[in-house]
Amino acid sequence: MDRYDIAIIGTGPAGVSAAITAKVRNKNILLFGSRKSSEKVYRATQIQNYPGLPQISGEELAEQYQKQLDQLGIAVTEERVSAVYAMGSYFVIQASGKMYEASSVILAAGVVQGKTFPGEKELLGRGVSYCATCDAMLYRGKTAAVIGYTKEAEHESEFLAELAEKVYYLPMYKEEPEITEKAGKIQIIREKPQAITGADQVEILQTDKGEYHVDGVFILRDSISAEQLVPGLEIEDGHVKVNLQMETNIPGCFACGDVAGKPYQYVKAAGQGNVAALSAVNWLTRQRLGKQQSGIITK
Amino acid sequence: MVKIISNNDLSEAKKEKLALLDFSATWCGPCSMLAPVLQELSEELDGKVGVYSIDVDQNPSLAIDYKIMNIPALVLLKDGEKVGMTVGFQPKASLEKFIEEHK
Repeated sequence: MDRYDIAIIGTGPAGVSAAITAKVRNKNILLFGSRKSSEKVYRATQIQNYPGLPQISGEELAEQYQKQLDQLGIAVTEERVSAVYAMGSYFVIQASGKMYEASSVILAAGVVQGKTFPGEKELLGRGVSYCATCDAMLYRGKTAAVIGYTKEAEHESEFLAELAEKVYYLPMYKEEPEITEKAGKIQIIREKPQAITGADQVEILQTDKGEYHVDGVFILRDSISAEQLVPGLEIEDGHVKVNLQMETNIPGCFACGDVAGKPYQYVKAAGQGNVAALSAVNWLTRQRLGKQQSGIITK
Repeated sequence: MVKIISNNDLSEAKKEKLALLDFSATWCGPCSMLAPVLQELSEELDGKVGVYSIDVDQNPSLAIDYKIMNIPALVLLKDGEKVGMTVGFQPKASLEKFIEEHK
């Protein structure tokens, strides 16, 4: 597998800025996100304080990002990143079921608005899980609840139902779920989940209408928090903790933009993206020199 | 060296002062990502903490005994008794911290 120099996650102003700086420094980059930047950017009617771009609209800015990325030959990999594993001297990025490798990672994925359920954090790993396909085998003959925020969650609950005794599916969207009822094993519940309780492990899922006795609750959200995305990452006040060089606690992992904290501003994000990219470039050089000194590479 | 446990036999691990048990499965992505990290860790902790790999499909009784509901699951044993548990992939530094905090 090819190992990229820098994997950048997010195509808002921070990610785009990081990608541009890294590309200009001739690095082999992998940019995850959407060619159309981010929905948040589109929603900005007018940006007042971006130097050189007086009163530009979010939409115009996104168009300019696309143009600049195209001009520099930077491709956008439109795959959802579900995990980043810090392996020590490199990173593995899991996206849409595929694994990518990079020597360094820049997180520019923005902020997540969702909130957790009471009991979710406390019982994480003791029945609360974010991945049905990962843990399905452990639910043979057991009962599980799946709280699905997107249609993708329907596939995961079907997979779970093949092994589990019973699956309660709670859709958090308006559309009717297209789930084959799997011989009565999946029951669609149109109730609002409120809390997850249990002494040592998950025992009950409480909704606004009742209680369900379950052995596990799978919460399949649309977006994922940085903490969940990169296990081992240090978080402070709900943001990824970074120093002025945009370094996180994990060597080779950098963060910029809204994900790294306030203020949530375009120009700040772009500036941090630039700093993160340069820090990554410096880090790569130091790694390379370190290897040269120990005789691993001769170039 | 990560020692592999089969037949639900935990006797060697229980004799150690400190033992780290890794509950995993062949079909679990994050488990395969954790494996090389544990190899490195076992080499560094050689003589201090024994690292054991437990495939939950090969050792179902152990998985039940330790109430494993999500994998990978890491259980720290001190003199044979469970003193801590953590779930999911973690980089080496986090694992070192987990061991320090619970030993």
